[in-house]
Amino acid sequence: MLEAWLTLIWIVIKILLIILPLMGAVAYLTLAERKIIGRMQARMGPNRAGLFGVLQPLADGLKLLCKEIILPSSANRFLFIVSPILVLAPALAVWAVIPFSEGLVLANINAGVLYLLAMTSLGVYGILIAGWSSNSKYAFYGSMRAAAQVISYEISMGFALAGVLLASGSMNLSQIVLRQAGGVWHWFVIPLFPLFFVYWVSAIAETNRAPFDVAEGESEIVAGFHVEYSGMGFAIFFLAEYANMIFVSTLAVLLFFGGWLSPFEGIPILGKWFAWMPGIIWLLAKISLFLFLYLWLRATFPRYRYDQIMRLGWKILIPLSLLWVIVVALFVYYHVGIWFA
Amino acid sequence: MISLLDCFFYSISSMLVASSLAVILVRHPVRAALFLVLSFVMAAMLWMLLEAEFLSLVLIFVYVGAIMTLFLFVIMMLPAEESLSWKKWRGFPFALLLFALLLSLLFYMLKHSLLLGASASPADTTSTYTNTQAIGHILYTQYALPFEMIGILLLVAMVAAIMLTFRGRRVDAKGQCINKQVRASKQDQLKLVNIPSEGEKG
Amino acid sequence: MSLSFAKRQINSLLLLELFRGLSITGRVFLTRAITIRYPEEDTPISPRFRGMLALRRYANGEERCIGCRLCEAACPALAITIEADVRSDGSRRTTIYDIDAFKCMHCGFCEEACPVDAIVLTSEMHYHMEARGENIFTKDKLLAIGDLYEEKIAQDREKDNA
Repeated sequence: MLEAWLTLIWIVIKILLIILPLMGAVAYLTLAERKIIGRMQARMGPNRAGLFGVLQPLADGLKLLCKEIILPSSANRFLFIVSPILVLAPALAVWAVIPFSEGLVLANINAGVLYLLAMTSLGVYGILIAGWSSNSKYAFYGSMRAAAQVISYEISMGFALAGVLLASGSMNLSQIVLRQAGGVWHWFVIPLFPLFFVYWVSAIAETNRAPFDVAEGESEIVAGFHVEYSGMGFAIFFLAEYANMIFVSTLAVLLFFGGWLSPFEGIPILGKWFAWMPGIIWLLAKISLFLFLYLWLRATFPRYRYDQIMRLGWKILIPLSLLWVIVVALFVYYHVGIWFA
Repeated sequence: MISLLDCFFYSISSMLVASSLAVILVRHPVRAALFLVLSFVMAAMLWMLLEAEFLSLVLIFVYVGAIMTLFLFVIMMLPAEESLSWKKWRGFPFALLLFALLLSLLFYMLKHSLLLGASASPADTTSTYTNTQAIGHILYTQYALPFEMIGILLLVAMVAAIMLTFRGRRVDAKGQCINKQVRASKQDQLKLVNIPSEGEKG
Repeated sequence: MSLSFAKRQINSLLLLELFRGLSITGRVFLTRAITIRYPEEDTPISPRFRGMLALRRYANGEERCIGCRLCEAACPALAITIEADVRSDGSRRTTIYDIDAFKCMHCGFCEEACPVDAIVLTSEMHYHMEARGENIFTKDKLLAIGDLYEEKIAQDREKDNA
């Protein structure tokens, strides 16, 4: 009995070891976003709270924590309160199967990728319910847009992941990463580049980020599905959005860019120099690169019109991913190149 | 002494039954749909207990993640009136008949099914065994033909649905050709004309 | 035509325009921010900047204004109120010289109109009121401001003439 309790406590500690740094990363991702986008617009970004604005996320968090939580009088109370939780829970649950380094994973399950797909598809419920239960036009429009967009892009994202599964022959994330061992030229991004492109575009659309952020559309529908939320309710939506951004970047790294593997592996001199680096540092560095790309795209591109988003998803990305899944299947069947030997 | 697994089983299945009942008893359609989602999730958890993780996750991914979202999408746009009424008993005898039929079929299946005997303990739970592979193997060898036929059936259904709703291209429909928009250049759109001013002449 | 067609196809297929956009933001990212951190740094202003109003004096301490009311006539916002009378030494001076800072739009026409260079606009833009009524700049206040900013006004004019 005692042993069972100890394992339970150990699992809780492991969960905290993942969640707490994640929360810190989310907080500082908001600062990084404001700083980087600021610099791309030749501004400085927040620089008042603390040195270079390092205390800004804490100030924002404190402000949101102290704000009043407003329940709209005609809202469905229970669903209104539950929906931020429904958004946050899948955003945190996905981290259970993410391997941070070889063997460093909370639950090394065989159907890892499938689990991720199932969890990410649950996230849309919180958005839908939030929009409906707020009983507000803008929130409802926002949630409709978000839901339609997420459903459409889930398909092409699923096909992109299916291509990776075909290439690696496993649904276990650790094994997918290990299949890419042996140097940069073994990474799946090279044979699966079109799928990576499809994955990345759909990932941005799935997380409702610019340039696909019509769900938020501050110029036409104020703030989308979370207009009616204030204080912590809003903060939780925010938290989930940024946690999802980090997750999506992590998944891109794991599936296409060799996860925790060193990019200098197999290169004569550099490989030896960097051999001492633990895998998790490489993983974090690669994730940061992808997060930077997220912000870079946001700073560069204007928002897509809604029908253009649908056109891109259904008429370009889905056929492209379907085609490349077939190509990958042929690659695997005929053992093309070093990747499928 | 009840084991932890039994505890899980009974709590999950009682919630499954409760939420399934709520689907048909709750008056508001959106709430009914949400209870249906809950019962799907509970069913997925039951399958997870049986170590059928592939089926369980696919149930969540397909039914909860895609189909029910579309359902909710439509139901949410319905007028918010509570349209279900207790007074409409007209279809009740027929429903009872259908219910009895389904129930007897279920009992018959349970009695004669080999599955019941097999599901008491999942066959092989060593670490190399993945039921994804097992299902894939069976689907693409033994049941390849039915599987492909289901695929074609779904395609036909999809085409039929499009045919039912597609009423031809309207002549007065407003739309834009994106290729044409992208192709637009300054030379096509803008024309500089030199007009002599009138004051100078007079 | 066919060449431009091929060019267009390559352009859209390789997303060249998107990459050009990314390169622009990427380049700006590496340059210095042009932000002026306001309370610590000031925006550079012209010596002709038209800021707070002031009434000037001659070097001997005599006020310049002779109550001719040309500024009052020139003011498009009707912000200036003047009453003039004969002083004990027989010279004509204003008894009331009020400027409503809320009405004033800093056009500088009063300064243009003034024959004796009495009413001027200093280059000071940081001034504020804390209570109702303080927006009326009385003669005393305007003269005090003039005394305070006499040197600054001279500097600005020198810079402008240079």
